[in-house]
Amino acid sequence: MVNRKLIKELLSESACSHNKTKKVSCDKPKPGATSGGCAFEGAQIALFPYADAVHLVHSPAICLGASWETRATLTSFKGENNTVLGYCTDITTNDVIFGGDKKLEESLDYIITNKNPNAIFVYETCVTAMIGDDMDNVCGRVEQKHGIPIVVVHSPGFVGNKNLGSRLGGEAVLGHLIGTKEPKEVHPFGINLIGEYNATGDMWQYIPILEKIGIKVVSTLAGDGRIENIQMAHRAKLNVIVCAKSLITLCRKMQEQYEIPYISISFYGKRDTTNAIMSIVNAFGDEELIKKAKIVIAQEEAKLEDALRDYKKVLNGKKAILNTGGNKSWSIASALQDIGVEVVATSIAKATLEDIEIAKSYVPILIKSPANEQSKLIDEHGVDILLAGGRSLYTAIKKKIAFVDVNQEKKVSYGAYSGLINLAKDVVDALNNPVFKVVGTKAPWEIA
Amino acid sequence: MKKPLQINPLKLSQPMGALLAFLGVKNCMPLMHGAQGCASFTKVFFTRHFNDPIAIQTTAVNDITAIIDGGDYSISEAIKNITKKVKPDLVGLFTTGLTETKGDDIKGATLLVKDKQKIVYVNTPDFEGGLESGWSLSVQAMISQLIVPQVTINPNKLLLLPNVNLTPIEVEKIKESIELFGFEVIALPDISESLDGHLGEKQGSMSAGGVEVSTIELLGDSGIVISIGESMKKCGEKFKEIQPLSQHFHLSSVSGLIDTDNFYKILMGYKNIKTPPPSIIRWRKRLQDALLDTHFLIGSSNIVIADEADKSYALSKALKEAGAKISSVIVPTRSAINAFIESEKVLIGDMEDLENALEDCEVIISNFHAHRIAQKHHKALILRGFPNYEQVGNNMNNDVLYEGSCYLLFELANLIRESREKH
Repeated sequence: MVNRKLIKELLSESACSHNKTKKVSCDKPKPGATSGGCAFEGAQIALFPYADAVHLVHSPAICLGASWETRATLTSFKGENNTVLGYCTDITTNDVIFGGDKKLEESLDYIITNKNPNAIFVYETCVTAMIGDDMDNVCGRVEQKHGIPIVVVHSPGFVGNKNLGSRLGGEAVLGHLIGTKEPKEVHPFGINLIGEYNATGDMWQYIPILEKIGIKVVSTLAGDGRIENIQMAHRAKLNVIVCAKSLITLCRKMQEQYEIPYISISFYGKRDTTNAIMSIVNAFGDEELIKKAKIVIAQEEAKLEDALRDYKKVLNGKKAILNTGGNKSWSIASALQDIGVEVVATSIAKATLEDIEIAKSYVPILIKSPANEQSKLIDEHGVDILLAGGRSLYTAIKKKIAFVDVNQEKKVSYGAYSGLINLAKDVVDALNNPVFKVVGTKAPWEIA
Repeated sequence: MKKPLQINPLKLSQPMGALLAFLGVKNCMPLMHGAQGCASFTKVFFTRHFNDPIAIQTTAVNDITAIIDGGDYSISEAIKNITKKVKPDLVGLFTTGLTETKGDDIKGATLLVKDKQKIVYVNTPDFEGGLESGWSLSVQAMISQLIVPQVTINPNKLLLLPNVNLTPIEVEKIKESIELFGFEVIALPDISESLDGHLGEKQGSMSAGGVEVSTIELLGDSGIVISIGESMKKCGEKFKEIQPLSQHFHLSSVSGLIDTDNFYKILMGYKNIKTPPPSIIRWRKRLQDALLDTHFLIGSSNIVIADEADKSYALSKALKEAGAKISSVIVPTRSAINAFIESEKVLIGDMEDLENALEDCEVIISNFHAHRIAQKHHKALILRGFPNYEQVGNNMNNDVLYEGSCYLLFELANLIRESREKH
């Protein structure tokens, strides 16, 4: 059953700064003027990276048919990687009329018999919520029969947006998995990475550095994650929220239940990566650890500057405008500055109040309405490169400046120190590419 | 134990087919009646497939409107909010499983706002049918709701009804070929002008091209209608109900030598001419040669196909002509054409079924999801169908008529040679 009280609580999270001023934090989506994913998508983003669990979507064709194997969230899991697989009960007219409980139970039996996963996440969607399938009951029964965790995620799309769905995913994990297993030994500097999904292998850029310093990643939610590890997450000493703010409720509750403090950091760019590492070691407050961190950071930064030297020759003094959403409005800006690019302005049209506050500290001009301001700013400041979504491509062509589609699915990581080298290469490649000028050339029959 | 679920679905939902159909109408705003995620997933899916922006809006049904609204509120609100920003020639309204489960009366909701906005409505729950039926139902809705009946016919006016699997360039090639016979040809829908991957003046928020609504309304005097693909047969019949004087010709496929011959036979017969335009004769000879040049390689190969039913039929028929052995075909949904697909085994299934059918097979023809499977099992892969996230330019893949059939044969033969050298 969808838990309305929980949803209300998640929507008015006390740890979110904007909820101190606003009464209702998240408005209902407007018919005919809404974009962005639903709660189910949010739950999928948050939990699908658990590669050793099967993710069964209890829905008709649309929810999973268009959405499986779409995210480059990498895993090192040696068994069958369930992250890229799509399991769906494929609800049909018959099930809508007579109920989908039986099909769900048979599907779970089938999966356990044939796939032997470490756990199963079962996602409730709009239609199966409407027809009133008692998923908790079915899953509880199957869990008892087979003895593996079966986690029901109540995430029908109509309850809200992606952000809420991620929260609901986090709640399901907290309620059903965390604290259900005890580790053999407790690491003094164990952390949980929360909201890191390891897209393009981002976390693999910085985990080796953390390990070198002496920090152990106990569990993740859910990048390169394992069920067994998240079951022992309550024995970590610190929760580290990486960029995504949606799982702040989970962290607040873990603080209340298990006395685990949390910090929120970003691993994009040199300064932010360094700050992130220092925030973690400072949270532990261990002198030796802090000393070790400073040494490792110095080594890594030197290595990075070496690798960036040739790129910086091209990038120094280049001006950019950034037009993207959420935390990217400042995290990418910071990363760009670290490779020598001057960020003239960044768009805050799709950023939260917190993101806007942070963006202010990085970039002098905040763009409220990109459609109106972007072109003018390009002219006024002699901007060389526009980093934006596909919609802005036309602006770049008209202005004959270089363009990077920051919203496009990336193939390489921009995370941490080494990811910065990838970003520098991509920006330099874009600046050197004549394509935007060529495409912008007038056709022979258009010249007056 | 019979598999009770889908593992790695091949099936795409009806609303997704509906969206594509409405994107083939110029200045159209497709409006999906469901939760915001239904539209969002679909938009992202096709944006990545076509590498171009996709127009779509949603009625954004939420937990409250899911219970207390019968569709009239969210639909009229959506129309109000859409028309605040843009002036669509048409809104294509289509449902999802959510709004069909709650039993919304979309016809009634449409009537409430009919003075404000021209709308075509269609019921496309995702718990029934699939991509092909969603597209077909939408075309049927456009035919019955937009076309104004006429008493006379124009024998030279040809209505082309392409199925959802035909790429933008294929639709264009078929249109051009028909025009060579002196017809005025209108494709319904026409994605060759909207999803063909062209750089426009600026990015619009509605469909980037396609057949104009006024043109659809005036289709009533079409003297001849050609439907291509089993999923489109009903659309042709629907038109025939509106214009009984018209002649309806149905073709299951226009790929390969024999089926292309049939296509031109119809056009020549209707026009009562003995020889087609010279370029067609030339391309037929090239295809004959292509069949001979490729039959050594293709004739020794074993192929598995997983695609929509109409596409699977067209591919297997065309490749059989060069001697290919098609050991298995997996289709996502029930279709009358399934019984006629030329393969040793045809089953309705998913990508796991594809993976289980690979024994002795050399080449897979399927969508992007087969990429990982092909790599894992060391098989060669031809990417066809939805989605194709891997290849840019897939909207210019041409497998139809004599010309496209040549390209298909060459692509397959070259792939087989390459893969044999590798393994």
